Amino acid sequence: MSDMDAETTIVGADVDEMPDDAVEKELGIGFWVCIGWLATIGLVALLAPWLPVTSDGAQGGPREAPSMSHWFGTDANGRSVFDLTILGARTSLAVGLFAIIFGMVVGGSLGIVAGYFKGKVDAVIGFIFFSLLSFPQLVLALLIVNAFDQVSLFTVAITLGILAVAPVGRLARAATLVFAEREFVLAAKVIGAKHFRIIIRELLPNVLIPMAALGLLGMGVAIVAEGGLAFLGLSVDGGESWGITINDGRQSRDLQENPWVAMFPIGVMFLTILSLNFAGDRVREYFDVRETAF
Amino acid sequence: MAGSGHAPLRDDPNVLLTIQDLEVEFPVGKGAVVHAVSGISFDVFEGETLGIVGESGCGKSTVAKSIIRLNDIKAGSVDYQGHKLADLEGEALRRIRPDLQMIFQDPISSLNPRRKIRDVISEGLAVWGDDRGSWPQDRIEELMTAVGIDPKYGDRRPHQFSGGQCQRIGIARALALDPKMMICDEPVSALDVSVQAQVLNLLEDMKERYGLTLLFISHDLSVVKNVSDRIIVMYLGKACEIGNADELYEHPRHPYTRALLASIPEPAPTVDPSDGDIEGELPSPITPPAGCRFNTRCGHASDICFTEEPQMQRVPGEDHYFACHHPVEVSVGV
Amino acid sequence: MADPQLSVRDLTVRFPTTRGTVQAVNGVSFELEQGQMLGIVGESGSGKSVTAKTLMNLLPRTAEIEGSVMFDGQDVRQAAADGRDHFWGVEMTMVFQDPMTSLNPVKKCGEQIAETIRYHLGQSKSEALAMAEDLLGQVGIPEPGKRVSQYPHELSGGLRQRVVIAMALACQPKLLIADEPTTAVDVTVQRHILNLLDSLREERGMSMILITHDLGVARGRCDDVAVMYAGRIVERSATETLFGDSRHPYTDALLRSIPRIDQPSHTRLDPIPGRPPELINPPVQCAYAPRCRYAQPDCLKSIPEAQGVEGMHEFACHHPANTDQGREALAANVAAGRNASGMPVAGYAGTGGF
Repeated sequence: MSDMDAETTIVGADVDEMPDDAVEKELGIGFWVCIGWLATIGLVALLAPWLPVTSDGAQGGPREAPSMSHWFGTDANGRSVFDLTILGARTSLAVGLFAIIFGMVVGGSLGIVAGYFKGKVDAVIGFIFFSLLSFPQLVLALLIVNAFDQVSLFTVAITLGILAVAPVGRLARAATLVFAEREFVLAAKVIGAKHFRIIIRELLPNVLIPMAALGLLGMGVAIVAEGGLAFLGLSVDGGESWGITINDGRQSRDLQENPWVAMFPIGVMFLTILSLNFAGDRVREYFDVRETAF
Repeated sequence: MAGSGHAPLRDDPNVLLTIQDLEVEFPVGKGAVVHAVSGISFDVFEGETLGIVGESGCGKSTVAKSIIRLNDIKAGSVDYQGHKLADLEGEALRRIRPDLQMIFQDPISSLNPRRKIRDVISEGLAVWGDDRGSWPQDRIEELMTAVGIDPKYGDRRPHQFSGGQCQRIGIARALALDPKMMICDEPVSALDVSVQAQVLNLLEDMKERYGLTLLFISHDLSVVKNVSDRIIVMYLGKACEIGNADELYEHPRHPYTRALLASIPEPAPTVDPSDGDIEGELPSPITPPAGCRFNTRCGHASDICFTEEPQMQRVPGEDHYFACHHPVEVSVGV
Repeated sequence: MADPQLSVRDLTVRFPTTRGTVQAVNGVSFELEQGQMLGIVGESGSGKSVTAKTLMNLLPRTAEIEGSVMFDGQDVRQAAADGRDHFWGVEMTMVFQDPMTSLNPVKKCGEQIAETIRYHLGQSKSEALAMAEDLLGQVGIPEPGKRVSQYPHELSGGLRQRVVIAMALACQPKLLIADEPTTAVDVTVQRHILNLLDSLREERGMSMILITHDLGVARGRCDDVAVMYAGRIVERSATETLFGDSRHPYTDALLRSIPRIDQPSHTRLDPIPGRPPELINPPVQCAYAPRCRYAQPDCLKSIPEAQGVEGMHEFACHHPANTDQGREALAANVAAGRNASGMPVAGYAGTGGF
């Protein structure tokens, strides 16, 4: 640095009094409780094949109340509701996760491209989003599910994923429009960065945060939607999911006489979705970066 | 073709950039267009600082952005060392971009909040690799030191720096590509008074050190004078007056230039404070006045000003040009 | 001498935040005589706007305020505690930087002014509208009859600011606080607005506080000027004295750092190094010391008290500029090449060279 003149040294003096790093924002205990719950559910769902849980055949008498041997009681067929809830988590979480990943990849890409290029590209993609949103969602879901002979986990997930494309895409488009106006995107253009690089390096890291927050909320919505499809008998054929178990538990007089069949899976589902919503909200707040020093 | 004439263009081998009859329009719906820039011609010498001054809506930023093609150009030519910038597209345009870099008004908005400042500064090198053979990656630290940012803070993100420091980072980013020309669009107007001088001095130092040519846009007459060799005064998409900085402020000929100089809180000693009493509002740039665009507010306006557009003419013997039918006579040698 | 119209004593404002308590205003005192214009000059974060908002009772409830504010024999802070809504807007009023924040975009200009009049003075609607039109004429808006029924977005920035001023004048206030009233407008418009404020002050005998970051604006228009830095008034005097014979090194440095229109182009500027301090848990020292060419070890030990002639020329500095004491301190720092907090000090560009 010997080539520096006196002026530059003086100008440079101010770097020495940088304040120490700003106080770290905290996610808060609530966030970690939620993550803990989600992690537990996720882990249990993942390890279910190796856990002593089964949905085959009766474990006890039909409609037994919760007890030490069957914590959540048993259903009309004598199957353990606890086991069903754990096995159902596999389907529900997988559907939710896959649906939202599909929505984020497809919708997010379309949205960012629309927001960045604007003009005709935006008009075409905007029209796709509008069409998806205008089409009655339930009818769309029925159409897609019915297009396949066998309703598999994949079918349900794709169906819900397609429904997620438009909301996620519109959010991505709106966020991209905001950031594309910012001067750092102009600066990247002036430097000579190509469109793809600008999208990946400059826009994506900024747009991904609101998308991730929406993604967590969206996963909750997808899990609930799977439950809705289950009520119509359109969820995974011959499988278990929270929706299917809840649907079973509301047959005839079960809700009055043996509410545990429906209530336990409802409770688990409620806590899971609550956690997703809360965590999504906190993530959005946390990454809501301060952009000025003061 | 209504232009303000080519009189200010210099026939000289030192010319780096020549703008001729530049016109820029923005559609505003229902077939209406904003006439942002309506036929402006000027040139810049290598190593010169050209200031463009004017009030909001005069088209000064549009001129700057047109040169590096951040706007569409309706007509006219931008000639940079034999490259017709106005006609370049796609890869050819991208290839020329590193030569002409830009400093933006809002230092915070011009940095990606999610990237470390070292990555921000070395972005140009990441894009171009060894193509340009400019600053090697390991000299980024030297560049940071040169603009007054301690390299040990390279891993921090923009929000941890003040506005003035962010502007230095923006300058370092532009310098990393070894540009020939730096376009500064209101680079200090978002900064606190005590920080403005730091950044202005830094720009002067960097200009000297790296042999830059500067195009400096500002609404602040004192700031523009301080950094510029030559100044253009713009009004409603047209140039009113072009000239050597000291000469222009010393002997302003155009009534609008005089009005500006008289309107600032501490008026220039070379004008009469009453020159600042211009009436009325800026006319709409969608339907600009015919003839001289300043005719709606000018105390000197006569019939000819409403029918015939004044052409640029030279003050004999000076690097000083104005476009006015009734220039203010000045007693030279005050 | 009669009591001044406005008297602020030891005003302190703190904001508790998650990162600590922000000391926004710290022991600020000043007076204002009737019909005078006081300029408060400072950079962002200097506390000038917070001071104004305290007077106008516009601070959020979380703000911790100490000190006294007396206006025309009335205790302003007591008025706030008593919920006297008609005090603000009638006795004293404020004009902000951005006229669009003070105007409702979906209401006609005339209606907005009329509403203010009706709220404070209880006129009938037609009377109030007539008064509104009259006020628009008084602030120099051409064709006030037409403007009354226009929406704010149909007006230019300069005209909008005039509408806001007209609204502020509606109830004949005795004190007008203008917070950066011309920062968002062009110089030719700025001149018109400042001329308007000047003539209104003369015609109505109104007092005014002009808050600005622009030293030129303060110099051209104010009787007295107070310079604020990091929540304190560091220097206050009659305008001519302040600009001609400043004592505080910050004022001095600020004046030197600004490009002047009468200097030839490429005149080297004398920048103030560094940046303003953080206002959270500031150390007990002169806040300007780290950036000050004059700073000596004692500047880092205590916060300087205001000295000088009270009410005439006060400054808070241990080694004031343009005094023997200051010259000694500067010479010592130039000789040592740095000030007491280690900042490099060279001679001034104009006088010593690097």
